[in-house]
Amino acid sequence: MEPGQGGLRSAFSLAGEWRGKMEEGKAYSPDGVFAHLEMLEARAHEAAVKQEEMEEQEEKLARLKARVQELRLQRDELRAKVDLQQKGQLGKEGVVSDPAQPSARAVLEWKIKSVKAMLQIFYLTGISGKLTKRGVCFCISTAYEGTYLDSYHLDLLTKAEVQIHRHSVPVFIPLEQIAKKYLQTDIRRFLSVLSDHLNAYAGRRYQADQLQDRFSDRIEGTLQRNSLCNLLVFNYNVSRKSKTFPFNVRLLYGDLCCSLPTEVTVSCTPDAPASLAETAAAHSDLFRRVALHKAFRSFSSAEGSVDGAP
Amino acid sequence: MDVTVAEYIRRTVLKIPRDEIKTMLQKWGFLSETQLQTVNFHQIKENISQDVVQLCEENSADIKQAAALDIIYNHIYPNKRVWSVYQMNKTGEETEFFDLTDFKKKFKRRLRSALKNVTINFREYEDNAIWIRIAWGTPYTKPNQYKTSYVVYHSQTPYVFISVSVLKSNLPLLCQALVVASNYHDIREMELRSHSLNSLKDIVFKRYSQNFQTYYPRPLQEGNVAPESGDLRIIQENRNEKERIQRVNQEVFGDGPQPKLEFAQYKLETMFKSDPKMDVLDEKEPFRCLVKFSSPHLLESLKSLAPAGMADAPLSPLLTCIPQKARNYFKIREKKGFFPGSFVSP
Repeated sequence: MEPGQGGLRSAFSLAGEWRGKMEEGKAYSPDGVFAHLEMLEARAHEAAVKQEEMEEQEEKLARLKARVQELRLQRDELRAKVDLQQKGQLGKEGVVSDPAQPSARAVLEWKIKSVKAMLQIFYLTGISGKLTKRGVCFCISTAYEGTYLDSYHLDLLTKAEVQIHRHSVPVFIPLEQIAKKYLQTDIRRFLSVLSDHLNAYAGRRYQADQLQDRFSDRIEGTLQRNSLCNLLVFNYNVSRKSKTFPFNVRLLYGDLCCSLPTEVTVSCTPDAPASLAETAAAHSDLFRRVALHKAFRSFSSAEGSVDGAP
Repeated sequence: MDVTVAEYIRRTVLKIPRDEIKTMLQKWGFLSETQLQTVNFHQIKENISQDVVQLCEENSADIKQAAALDIIYNHIYPNKRVWSVYQMNKTGEETEFFDLTDFKKKFKRRLRSALKNVTINFREYEDNAIWIRIAWGTPYTKPNQYKTSYVVYHSQTPYVFISVSVLKSNLPLLCQALVVASNYHDIREMELRSHSLNSLKDIVFKRYSQNFQTYYPRPLQEGNVAPESGDLRIIQENRNEKERIQRVNQEVFGDGPQPKLEFAQYKLETMFKSDPKMDVLDEKEPFRCLVKFSSPHLLESLKSLAPAGMADAPLSPLLTCIPQKARNYFKIREKKGFFPGSFVSP
């Protein structure tokens, strides 16, 4: 080290100057910035190494602690098993029940599951509801003879007087009329009547759809229907002794809460044989009592047997 | 065959996109399959239409068949017309049976009793929709087949969809005939208009997706769950706010697609409230102003405003009430009384 020269040199802080000095091997002056930096770097490196070692130690410690916990737990379980065995439950071949006390978490999960199941049952009954901030939201589900069909919702406000805020009921269902009669006075009756209307409509529509889908070959021309499916007019073929005769039928569903017709008119062409009049009357009676698509199914099977007879 | 009918059929065929002509003619059912085989559907439309007219000559088409073709065209391309919604009401409580033949008879009789020169054609569709095409004439001239109005009516509903195009003077007559035929008492025009007929139906028949609160578990929608993959070094700073906006949006607009409307119009008749020192129209008379929002799909764009960061959620109820109130034309007047602000006219 040449202190004298270092002192002079420190006045010049140009990088090039220092680089030059390094080459000359004169960079290690006590005043040098580089030296300082290098010293700091070395210190940091040492500290980092120490830190790493400490962390490793801590990790190891934590792992060992966890292992201790595990082993303790295992020991407890085995102890419990031994106790149970000693209490004479050897009958159950090795299948030992869980510790008698279910955890709080398991209880909570079971409670949630049973509440969800209860809500699902309510939904399946056809009328279910949920309280909202301003009132109640009801859900009316429809079904017909075991098949679940559409659901409709009603958002009611209950703060001042009961009002329908929004709904998804089809526009041809007489909702306003039913609401005017029952909504303010007897909400249960309102829901019940509305549910009857919706279920009957769903049932009528289901029958008409089934007829069109499954018995389209027996229907001549188009099936005339309307939005409420409460008036159906169509022609269908009846075969007797390998000849087909067209029947015209008009089904009027006078009661909107009913999925069976109130008025049935079955007519055949004037030139049809007299025996067909009986058939027409029989069909008319059947339509009044039985679902439309089921009636048709019974025709097909009945005709099979009639034609088969000599 | 009448020359006017031939020309009308020719022009109708020209309107149809070339690839659709064959299917539409098959739907029409007036020309047999063998006849259709003889037409080359790859030539230019001008020639196709001439060939079709030639075949119609052979079958002696009359105006009824030509009108049927026109209805089919408009049923497949209803969005080329502007549809308005009308609401009928009645005071009676009898159950409606709706006999289709009865409806058609009453409608024709009422309309023809007032104006002899009209062409009326009906066509029914699977979804209980009845399409009525009316070509208007005057007491002294034959019906002009190019000046037509269309009416779409679903039985046992109080709503009628009308596309008038021209000759608005015949509208009262048309409305009267509808009221009589469907057993209602009166009819009024709703403030709801759009090109998309199906969206108008969705709005008034309440077929669009509304978000109702239920306990019944709905199927989880994968789209709502943001994928966790991605650079873990990137942190969403306002994740809470984003989730709040999503939730509010879903409550207001529901999960499904929105009905398609092209515009919403707000006519302001409110007072201009300015700084008293400025003395600009200071509460002297209402400030007349018309605000019109237009978009190829207005409700979808409103739904995406808040998630895109362009508006605060929840949006103004004036915008979000459109499907529920079934209107897209509003008049906003001053609310007189205690609370300043505006209220929407019924």
